[in-house]
Amino acid sequence: MAVSQRRLRDALVALVIILIAVPIGGAVVLALIHGDTPCILCWAQRTSMALIALVGLFIVRYGPRPRYVGTAVLLATWGVFMGFRHSALHLARDVGQGFSASIFGMHTYTWAWFIHWTVLVGIGALLLFLHWKEGEGWPREPGRAGRFAMGLFVVVVGANALQAFATTGPPPFLGQADPVRFSFDPRRWVWSQEELGGRLSLRGSWTIPEPDVGDVDPDPAHGPLADLPSLSASGWERIGVPLAGALSGLAHDPATNRFLAVTDRYEVYVLDGSMARSLHHVAVDPGFSIDLSPFAGTAFVGDTLAVLSTNKSYVLLRPDSTADADLEWRHFRETDGGMRELRLGRFATVRARQMYVLSLAFDPSADEMITVAVPSPRHRRLVVSRFARGDLVLSSEFEPRPAPGLRLTGEDRSLAEYVVTGAVVVDGLLYALSAAYSTLLVIDLRERTLRGAYAVPELERPVGLAARGSQLFAAQADGRVAVLERPGAESPRAEE
Amino acid sequence: MEFLNFLLILWIAWLVWRRPENERLAFGLLVLSCAIMALLFLVGTHTSFVPGVNL
Repeated sequence: MAVSQRRLRDALVALVIILIAVPIGGAVVLALIHGDTPCILCWAQRTSMALIALVGLFIVRYGPRPRYVGTAVLLATWGVFMGFRHSALHLARDVGQGFSASIFGMHTYTWAWFIHWTVLVGIGALLLFLHWKEGEGWPREPGRAGRFAMGLFVVVVGANALQAFATTGPPPFLGQADPVRFSFDPRRWVWSQEELGGRLSLRGSWTIPEPDVGDVDPDPAHGPLADLPSLSASGWERIGVPLAGALSGLAHDPATNRFLAVTDRYEVYVLDGSMARSLHHVAVDPGFSIDLSPFAGTAFVGDTLAVLSTNKSYVLLRPDSTADADLEWRHFRETDGGMRELRLGRFATVRARQMYVLSLAFDPSADEMITVAVPSPRHRRLVVSRFARGDLVLSSEFEPRPAPGLRLTGEDRSLAEYVVTGAVVVDGLLYALSAAYSTLLVIDLRERTLRGAYAVPELERPVGLAARGSQLFAAQADGRVAVLERPGAESPRAEE
Repeated sequence: MEFLNFLLILWIAWLVWRRPENERLAFGLLVLSCAIMALLFLVGTHTSFVPGVNL
């Protein structure tokens, strides 16, 4: 397509004028009308747009030299990243909870993302029609429109400089994360260097190591709670079925006297009451549609088998002798043919967000599934999350507080040091077994308190907990199961 | 710092508009201004350089 270089230059001038007038100049107007003030990231994005417009003026003046086109591409690419990084702060918020001015339903940071992307498209389109050789064809003078663009640029950037002086101050002050509204009154101006604080990090609060029970201290004497009574195993049992992978969860169904065992290799076993015989077995495919991290816990939910991964994704299964083998092929890597998948999903949490879990329990009286988050260096909390069985959506969360009679060993200690790897609900009490400090926690779900705690020194980093009658079954990764007499509803600590 | 960078951009624009013979100086200042802009963004995101979402 034949397009004269002068016409191409005029098109570039028009784009530069639009860029100067609309986003860069419009931002100053927003400050004057609405008091809108950019944060430090907005300032960088606005400056980037000004620099792209300036590179456009370079091209208008000197021609489309590769170093100018290259600079524009680099600036636009960096701007797309800035827009993504900035928008990511707010994209996942609830409806209407964006930050700063909204234009046609999009907030300014999202517009910055779109504008930089549009610049890349514009550069590509202009290059399609460019037939430029050094010193040939490109007009030597910027022309009337080019001079207008330069004048407009000086005026608009000058206004931005004044706004920047008022809202960010002269060096060494710089932009702020949470700026206040714009004012002409110098007494209202806030100049700060608060953005220089904080430690360097690549991923910030998302730097969460995957939980590793092998790292925890199993000695109850080192735990955060003082003077705990001990609980001894009344016996030991062993899962008699060869397991593929390390055991990572155990549950018991009182209605059918069956056990449910899962491993870190996505294996699910339905076992008889003696744990010596496998009634059903599948290996779940952890990929596709929803990624399952290693299985961490399991529970009987009526006749449904609930299996939870460390990343709070779950799979619901049901034994079914009529299961269609061809239909289930997509769900299972291995199957005995007697199981079907009901549902894959993800639990969404609030207090336990950005935290992994290592346990799953079912509370039949509330008809809720329960997880207990494990702490990380970034998030030191012990959070109990409850999910309604009907829609599998979060119904409540809490951090249990110690009941009177339970005492921390120091002011710097907390319940968040426990790493709960097994949980089961009996009579409204959540029995949560911590691999760290080998401690059994008894949490009152109604009062949201830690009613009692017991040291279980014989355990070695347990991975699951089940209940049968008055007994608790504390499972270890190697398939050994300690049988404990379940402490009653009354707290021995409170009684003492 | 943002104020300083806008002053720098104004100077570059003035060179391009009124002193076009100083092209090399103008481009050198442009690169400096780009670096300041990028540095200020990194200052604002130094506690988490990449977006805080599931990547």
